[in-house]
Amino acid sequence: MDHEALAMEMRGLREQVTGITDTAVAAADGLLIAADTAEDIDPEGLAAIAAAGLGLARRTAEATGRGALRRTVAHGSHGCAAVYAVGESALMVVLSDEGVDLDRLHEETRPALTRIGSILSAPETVPAVSAVAGAGSEAV
Amino acid sequence: MADRRISLDRAGYGLLSRTLAECGRDEATGELRVSGRPGGAFHLRGGLVVAVESPGAPGPEALLLRSGRISGEQWDGLLDEPGAGRWPEAGLIAHGYAGAAQLRVMRMQALQDAVFAVVAGHVEGVRPLTEPSGSGPLAPVAVGESPLRLLQEATRKLTALAALPCPVLPDRERPLPAPGAAPDDPRLPSARRDVLTHANGRRTARDLAFITGRGVYPVTVEIARMLAEGLLRCADPPPTVLPVPVHIPATGALVPLRREEPVRLGELVRIGEPSVPPHPVPQKAQDPQGPQGPQGPQDSPNSRTSQSPQEPTGRPDPVRAPGPPKRAARQGKPDAPPVQSPPPPGQPPRQLPRRRPGASGITESLADAHREASWKGFFRLRHRIWTPDSGT
Repeated sequence: MDHEALAMEMRGLREQVTGITDTAVAAADGLLIAADTAEDIDPEGLAAIAAAGLGLARRTAEATGRGALRRTVAHGSHGCAAVYAVGESALMVVLSDEGVDLDRLHEETRPALTRIGSILSAPETVPAVSAVAGAGSEAV
Repeated sequence: MADRRISLDRAGYGLLSRTLAECGRDEATGELRVSGRPGGAFHLRGGLVVAVESPGAPGPEALLLRSGRISGEQWDGLLDEPGAGRWPEAGLIAHGYAGAAQLRVMRMQALQDAVFAVVAGHVEGVRPLTEPSGSGPLAPVAVGESPLRLLQEATRKLTALAALPCPVLPDRERPLPAPGAAPDDPRLPSARRDVLTHANGRRTARDLAFITGRGVYPVTVEIARMLAEGLLRCADPPPTVLPVPVHIPATGALVPLRREEPVRLGELVRIGEPSVPPHPVPQKAQDPQGPQGPQGPQDSPNSRTSQSPQEPTGRPDPVRAPGPPKRAARQGKPDAPPVQSPPPPGQPPRQLPRRRPGASGITESLADAHREASWKGFFRLRHRIWTPDSGT
């Protein structure tokens, strides 16, 4: 999996769509893969909640004959949290504030999901990088 | 630094002003959708603009709620009143939350601010006038404004912004507090303290305007001035190494990775972690707590389907099985470290069940009574998300 490409995709989505504040990618069982979130959000907890919510929504759609689940969106007065499935084995959380244009969000997220799906399922090309320690200390 | 200058998107602006002038001449009524970044929608009545909504500027509702003028509960209460609709102006006035004149001013400010956001951004196209979609604009002004006057006002603001020593665009710069600038400095005006509190290098002026519940133009100007005065700084050039922690060392197969210690957000890229090949040796190295590993990271990639109910679905008991001797030894000591807060004997320790596969609810055990630990995590998370925002 190309970590840099994944990080670029996530960050690109946040900077491209006005109103997106945070993104996270997790495996379908709720384990965090990557997070581009502000400090006040616990990305691991978010990943677990998103997986639970998506699973619940999927089963709700199934049990009520609503067809294939497209996404789940939780609306709050200060914004919304959308969870999209990335293929069968992963999901992406997109948090946005109340200003976001939801149609645009879904529209722009769709191609990003496809690309992230292919990044996640791509065979390992990058060897275990050793230049991690220096980079980690530089972060906030 | 050369690209820090501000220039008007001339082609987009020309298109927008031509279309709006045409609508004004025809005394048109309807909705004009502007695509681009941030884009927006102009609502016209008889050739005059009565409302503009844009993702780039907080609307009247966000201004009221985010500025703390009215709480979310109060707002919900107003919406529940009969005849309130989406914009409960009568209720706001009746309850004394805001005055009628105040609300009129606010609606007009929100309108002008949205025009500024559209003009300061990038206009890709203008769709032809349509009937108002849905239930129309949220809070239209009573007497519309001439579209060309609005555009002139917006370009004037943009010119004023460009003339500042450190020009900033609402959706471009992502400032950080400069070293030495304290958000709780009592000498600073509250608007500046708010900006310093919330500026974290991720948020643009537009994001800060939403968080603080103020107009995007005043916030942008404030940020430009604070940059000039050295209270804020811009990470320049933008970091090439992205501060996105990537946690999985997996290959194409998304093998769930056991991780017991919480990962700090600040860590950059956790690639150093060994991959999870389908044999148990490196897994033991990763997971000293549960070396037996009855849980299956060795599963097939689509572990969601292969995780049948007979597997340990988030229950700590089987995972904890190899633990007892060690725990007993630790409890024997009188001065056991209180950080771990060992559970009473006989009860399995609950250690982050939400991080275990199966705690997600995707497996067939949604109604499991042991799930409440995940709900705790949910409330904790919600609390964390909301505290900084609701405080403003």
